Amino acid sequence: MRSTAIVLKLKALRARFPDLGWPLPSTVVWQRALGDRWLLVSALGLLFMGWIMVSSASVDVAQARTGDPHYYSIRHGLYVLATLITLVAGSWIPLRLWQRYSPWALVLGVMLLVVVLLVGREINGSVRWIPLGIINLQASEVAKLCLVIYLASYLVRHMNAVRTEFRAFLRPFLLMMGMGLLVILEPDYGALVVMLSALLGMMFMAGVRWYYFVGVVVLAIVGMALIAYAEPYRVARMITFTDPWAEQYGAGYQLTQSLIAFGRGHWFGLGLGNSVQKLFYLPEAHTDFVFAIVAEELGLFGALSMLGLFVLLVARIMLVARRAELRGRLYGAYLCYGIGVIIAVQATINIGVNVGALPTKGLTLPLVSYGGSSLLISGLMLGMVMRVALETDSYQPKAPRTQSSSRHADARTSSRRRVPPAGSEAPLYRQPTRRASRFTHLGDH
Amino acid sequence: MSGHFKPVASWRFYLLLGIMGLVAAGLAGFVVWLNLFEHDFLKQQGDVRTLRVEPITAHRGMITDRNGEVLAISTPVVTLWINPQDFPKTADAVRQLAQAAGLSPVNLAQRLKRYVNHEFMYLRRQMTPDEADAVLALGLPGVHARDEFKRYYPPGEVATHLVGFTNLDDQGQEGLELAYNDYLSGEPGQRRVLKDLKGRIVRQLAVLKPAEPGGDLALSLDMRLQYLAYRELKAAVQQHHADAGSAVILDAKSGEVLAMVNQPAYNPNNRAHMDPESLRNRAMLDLLEPGSTVKPITVAAALMSGEYTPDTIVDTRPGYMRIGGHTVRDVVDHGVLTVTRVITKSSNIGVAKMAMALPEDAVWGLFSQLGMGRATGTGFPGESVGHLPPNTLVDRAVMAYGYGLSVTPLQLAQAYTPLADHGQLHAVSLLRQDKPQSHQVIPPKIAREVLEMMETVTQKGGSGTRARIPGYRVAGKTGTTHKVGSTGQYTSEYRAFFAGIAPVSDPRLIAVVVVDNPRGRQYYGGEVAAPVFSRLMGGALRMLNVPPDNLKTLPQKDLPTGSLPQDVKVAE
Repeated sequence: MRSTAIVLKLKALRARFPDLGWPLPSTVVWQRALGDRWLLVSALGLLFMGWIMVSSASVDVAQARTGDPHYYSIRHGLYVLATLITLVAGSWIPLRLWQRYSPWALVLGVMLLVVVLLVGREINGSVRWIPLGIINLQASEVAKLCLVIYLASYLVRHMNAVRTEFRAFLRPFLLMMGMGLLVILEPDYGALVVMLSALLGMMFMAGVRWYYFVGVVVLAIVGMALIAYAEPYRVARMITFTDPWAEQYGAGYQLTQSLIAFGRGHWFGLGLGNSVQKLFYLPEAHTDFVFAIVAEELGLFGALSMLGLFVLLVARIMLVARRAELRGRLYGAYLCYGIGVIIAVQATINIGVNVGALPTKGLTLPLVSYGGSSLLISGLMLGMVMRVALETDSYQPKAPRTQSSSRHADARTSSRRRVPPAGSEAPLYRQPTRRASRFTHLGDH
Repeated sequence: MSGHFKPVASWRFYLLLGIMGLVAAGLAGFVVWLNLFEHDFLKQQGDVRTLRVEPITAHRGMITDRNGEVLAISTPVVTLWINPQDFPKTADAVRQLAQAAGLSPVNLAQRLKRYVNHEFMYLRRQMTPDEADAVLALGLPGVHARDEFKRYYPPGEVATHLVGFTNLDDQGQEGLELAYNDYLSGEPGQRRVLKDLKGRIVRQLAVLKPAEPGGDLALSLDMRLQYLAYRELKAAVQQHHADAGSAVILDAKSGEVLAMVNQPAYNPNNRAHMDPESLRNRAMLDLLEPGSTVKPITVAAALMSGEYTPDTIVDTRPGYMRIGGHTVRDVVDHGVLTVTRVITKSSNIGVAKMAMALPEDAVWGLFSQLGMGRATGTGFPGESVGHLPPNTLVDRAVMAYGYGLSVTPLQLAQAYTPLADHGQLHAVSLLRQDKPQSHQVIPPKIAREVLEMMETVTQKGGSGTRARIPGYRVAGKTGTTHKVGSTGQYTSEYRAFFAGIAPVSDPRLIAVVVVDNPRGRQYYGGEVAAPVFSRLMGGALRMLNVPPDNLKTLPQKDLPTGSLPQDVKVAE
């Protein structure tokens, strides 16, 4: 009796979802639930590869520090699971909620940056973590997302002003300077660079006049140079990375060890688990320098694969953003531009540091490095991107698409539109008839 | 704010994508450059930091007696060392470590302070692996282990003078451990290993040169005889309150040293309280005037000259004799003696007269041929060569009864080998030998005659009756000499000798016993050394299953009823 009921139910399900794979659901189901297929594939790839590599890189360090060689591996595995949950949960949160509460997000971000200075734990000379019992929360990780959440709403609200008025253009920079000051006090210059990049990227994509933009970029570069110059150890680091071998047992130690890891890797690496550099030679092998271990154990092949996954991930985020923008879903678009830039810049800086192209900064490799805050925030960011993709695809513009884009709906109006949760009975998801159709409007407008 | 939404121009989007793509390509370029083009340089840099060539300790060879019983053996031990740079500078860590390693915390803290700028300090050497594991289990940083070997000497002080010992670094310091150090220690090998930053070996990559273990050394010693000799000599030295003593047993057929003991001795396994006096292998290092024990050799030289036979008459009256300013004395006036009786009574005047009557080279030449004043060729470190006096008339006369020359106890035993084995001199050997090195120095007939003369020493009326062994015929010679003091003058201290051969019918063993400065009422060789010889030789003959050749002297109750000499011979 019961079994026949189940069979009937399954038949009904399959009738409703004809493209549902059996026994495994096809990616379509994922897309219904989450949004973007390739985004998910690259994110899962990075998370999985990251877990494997963190496990491998941390074995000896974990053994030495805790007596349990799997200490970091298990913890990282749990973080990855939590990250996936966060990703799914993030994709279920309607964008309008983020938009509505974006000022509070900003308040939260600033508050965290203040709190960390008051009660934060000092590790390696920086106060970056707020102890929360089982997890140490990295304040700047949360703050940068808060900044993006707020900026996106600001840009949507003041779009025309930002594009035309210098004051509206300047205001976000003032906000940025305030947050930047707090970050510098930690100090966490990596986070500052990431936040500034996100701001610049979002402003650029919001249509700021290009000469304003160039001016700001020049100013930012000069400012950063001044900050770096004011602190001698920054200068030392700046100088070291250009020739680490000159001071291979001093300031250049970590970098030379990282470079050696790459050199050892050659084409296909020493094999998983065979890294030599992780045997205490390369400090932070499972956090900031996990990419070097990838290059050592999996060689050029592995390193370029991971880099390729990042390229795919960022490209998908940017495409989701552009699609949303073209569909008039501006809040989601700016959110995705910001997130895409954050992930791109963070990955660039981390890998750049690993290969000796950039001065040493304490930045993790998103989705890969060991570290709970970074992983969970990355998961949430990707969940938000998924949500943007989902809402963009299920959103039917009232007016049929024509050459005139002025008839696209206002972003605020559209965000008030009821968006039923994914998987509900309403035909939320419009399967594109041709893949290309999604991006047919990437052209000039 | 306005309904006039306009997406930004797509060049911005493509510019952003383009910049990102360029950055990604740049990073990819860096990775390719490092992984492929800098590969050789970086790999070499990495190897410089991580690859080390480590020695492989070669196992030191074993030293055994002739039957394979172990005299010296190496066992693995662990030496712990510290890199003071890495070791935590907390009092707690020092206390923990000191407790686990069994050291004084105060002392360890002081040492750590002294070596604070160094990168190496021994924590404790040569611990048993179990002890070392307990320390390593603490997991304190900077504490490292090194495998070494420790030498153990199962017989302890019984064979130590001959075997010697090694130092903490497993290098021979004394005795045969020193003499055969190169042979025993072998060649340490080399291996290439991968080390982590803490200096621990992660992987062995290659053995560059395998360690060649040292060779095993089989000595000529027979530990059964060695233990026996040790026991008897030690007892005698204690009984007579003597300063020192030596005993040597030779195989009469080959010259191999079957036993060699000295008193005082030391325990090579624990040399913490070693007295330097006990260190010497006196049987090979100490030069002594052999006294009367060389008289049989003088007699052999006389017989070889053809001018004497065992029955030739020698007048020793009146018991003293002046030769150039020097007076030769006998203990009592022995009167007119045959050559045999000269030996029996141990008459100094008798042998002196014979020596003077012989051609000038006869005595000196035979002494020299028998190895006195010559190296024995054993290669033992510090072995004494001995000394023969210039070949003048007086010296010849004095030498005839054992003064004016110096020999080691081993040389004396070697000089007896022709008397025991048909005139064949066997070069002594400390190693087990398959083929003795020997040559004829005395005609077999004369050797036999001298041996039979020496037998009278242990017979009734002889000076060495206490050397008798029930069941065996024993030939020997007593000796008692004044010791030379530090001023070069003879003192009132004595040295008691007995040198003997048994069994006379077919000699198997030669033994020399020397007791130095017996302080009791007895000091004659016949009183002090002869009883030791008797017990030593008797025990040795029985242990070697040498058939008795003199059943008359056995107590009757010891004989199985109706037993005959033939039965005993069958039993061999």
